[in-house]
Amino acid sequence: MNTTQQAERFTIPIGPQHPALKEPGHFALTVDGEIVTSASVRLGYVHRGIEKAVEERTWVQNLYLLERVCGICSHIHATAYCLGVEQLAGVTAPPRAQAIREVVAELERIHSHMLWFGVAAHEAGFDTLFMYSWRDRETVMNLLEGLTGNRVNYSANVLGGVKFDIDSAQADAILSGLDFLEKRTHHYLDVVSTDLVFLRRTRGIGVMTRQQAEVLGAVGPTARASGVERDIRVEAPYAGYSEYPVSIVMDTTGDLEARFEVRIKELFESYRVIRRILRDTLPPGDLTTRVPRRIKENETVIRVEAPRGELFYFMKSNGTDMPERIRVRTPTICNMTSVIRLTVGHQLADVPMILVGIDPCFSCNDRTAVIQDSCGNRQHWTWEKLRQYGIEFYR
Amino acid sequence: MNLQLDKPWQDALEQVKTWARVNSPWLIHFNSGSCNGCDIEILATLAPRYDLERLGVKLKGSPRHADVLVCTGPVTRQARDRLLRIYEQMHEPKFVVAVGSCALSGGVFQDCYNVLGGIDQVLPVSAYVPGCPARPEAIIDGVVKLLTSLVEKPVPAAPEPSADGRGR
Amino acid sequence: MNTEATLHLATKMVSEWATETQVSEPNRVDGLMATSEDLLNAVMMLRVKRLGYLAAITGIDLGLEAGEFEVLYHFCAGPVVITLRIRTPRETPSVPSLSHYIPSAEPFERELSEMFGVAVVGIPNPERLYLPDDWPEGVYPLRKDFERSALNEERDHEYDTTG
Repeated sequence: MNTTQQAERFTIPIGPQHPALKEPGHFALTVDGEIVTSASVRLGYVHRGIEKAVEERTWVQNLYLLERVCGICSHIHATAYCLGVEQLAGVTAPPRAQAIREVVAELERIHSHMLWFGVAAHEAGFDTLFMYSWRDRETVMNLLEGLTGNRVNYSANVLGGVKFDIDSAQADAILSGLDFLEKRTHHYLDVVSTDLVFLRRTRGIGVMTRQQAEVLGAVGPTARASGVERDIRVEAPYAGYSEYPVSIVMDTTGDLEARFEVRIKELFESYRVIRRILRDTLPPGDLTTRVPRRIKENETVIRVEAPRGELFYFMKSNGTDMPERIRVRTPTICNMTSVIRLTVGHQLADVPMILVGIDPCFSCNDRTAVIQDSCGNRQHWTWEKLRQYGIEFYR
Repeated sequence: MNLQLDKPWQDALEQVKTWARVNSPWLIHFNSGSCNGCDIEILATLAPRYDLERLGVKLKGSPRHADVLVCTGPVTRQARDRLLRIYEQMHEPKFVVAVGSCALSGGVFQDCYNVLGGIDQVLPVSAYVPGCPARPEAIIDGVVKLLTSLVEKPVPAAPEPSADGRGR
Repeated sequence: MNTEATLHLATKMVSEWATETQVSEPNRVDGLMATSEDLLNAVMMLRVKRLGYLAAITGIDLGLEAGEFEVLYHFCAGPVVITLRIRTPRETPSVPSLSHYIPSAEPFERELSEMFGVAVVGIPNPERLYLPDDWPEGVYPLRKDFERSALNEERDHEYDTTG
């Protein structure tokens, strides 16, 4: 047997312990030399059984449960849930509350994109950028804490509205924080589009064409970077987005660089719309409207734009104070299919960046991937090893 | 040969070991099913504003290099085996810090079908840090309290893992 | 095309194959499909006319008395949500797989099958998605008659060191 004539393939299970991403996942990659030939994901590490748990809790209790589907995008889950309950009950939260919901949602988008940016930089081996971006992110964490009382899991929503108002002192603090963040964001955009070392890891890597993005069901910035016009805030405005709209941010190249640029440019849109809401002064009026304890039999669909993409809730009520069914479909599961396909044909060294390019939120999805080697060879790599491998490869 | 070492020599060695452990604890982080809230606060604790590294703490990728396992999440059934395996790969003495309400008791996910409910259902926990999520200040406080307890008390012998996998 | 026009077009298309069509909210049209063939035809029509993308698949247990599950396929076209619904008997629930036409359906179908025990005929990858490896067969968490006691046996646990 001449082993040099046989293609050597290795299975490299990666995970579920991720030093960088802090989320469990198990990816299996089959490689033929350096090139990935197949990939799959196995999820389940963060599956907590929430869709069952909501059927055993009241509408009010579920607000606190669904906020904790994901710590990074907790407000958008709570907003989607509240909008859904309000729709089921046939009530509308007052305009002031909707505007405040939008302000907190955009602040959350800022924190989430900056978080992602730091983690992505870490994956690329650019730890300095990781530290700087997380230092700057502390500005928006302070703003969120000052406004809501907590850095994460803000609990801004109640069924029927919001818990707190924004007074002029808080508005001033937010505006001055945004000025600082905007300056820093210009710097990050500069780094991402001109730093040669960074560009070697992102330009032309992980290209997803518009057609692929549509067929594979990509959502959010991942889809927009490939030229697919999908942004729920624009196509189906909710909360305050009809009064205070955002513009869609898109690119057409569809590579990792495009995904970086789309997210950073979205930050500018977030700054702009928050400024507009706070400078225009919020619509006057109440902060909440009454929602009955028992919700009449009804069904509704709510779609909102989480930082990672479209968040889809289907809700069914049965006349009692507990839901009949709540279906939570989070954005990362849509993008996960695309990333699995994208890694095939790429180098092993590109895998960490391709994965991080979709901004995966495992707690929203909980998935893992496994790769099978046709010769049955297996190597155990930790994610850290794969990440280091990528960094060394491009050195 | 009967190795009866003089007590003062042994004491000194123990003091040096404690000093090293306390001043340079190496952490490994594991998410056993958390929503990531606590995990991002742990990362924030290592970022410039809170900077846990000034206390000599280093985050390592491999369990074999770590003294302290910082664990979040309510322990899902799928994560349980991996959690145990990581703990086993750590060398003695090793400590577990449970961070966040979910790690303490399951948090809002108590009684969910895929959740065991708290790290101490699976491993012996040395320090509990409450919060949902636990603030970086609380995490630092928890780590400092753990280190202080090492100075004040001798390192306890690690409990034998019991037959049913419960660490108590 | 604005919301009304999209909704109008969607309603027309859905009602070609549905036994009951309902505009349940200002931006939603629901169609109840009688058979798998009707469902597949409606899906193909939406694909061919490029109206909407598959956003989610929801399973609902209609209860022990009703004796049926309902599976909802949600397609989103701009602000309009088109939901194709099909019912299947509780004893032998099954739906056809859409994964061959719509790759993004795969994870949704895997989840449907492990949570409700609905057989998805023709699914390329029938592996579990979220439930752990040691989850007992035949136990479907999102069914109304799911008993947590089915999981409470003391696990005969050997530490898994093989990875």
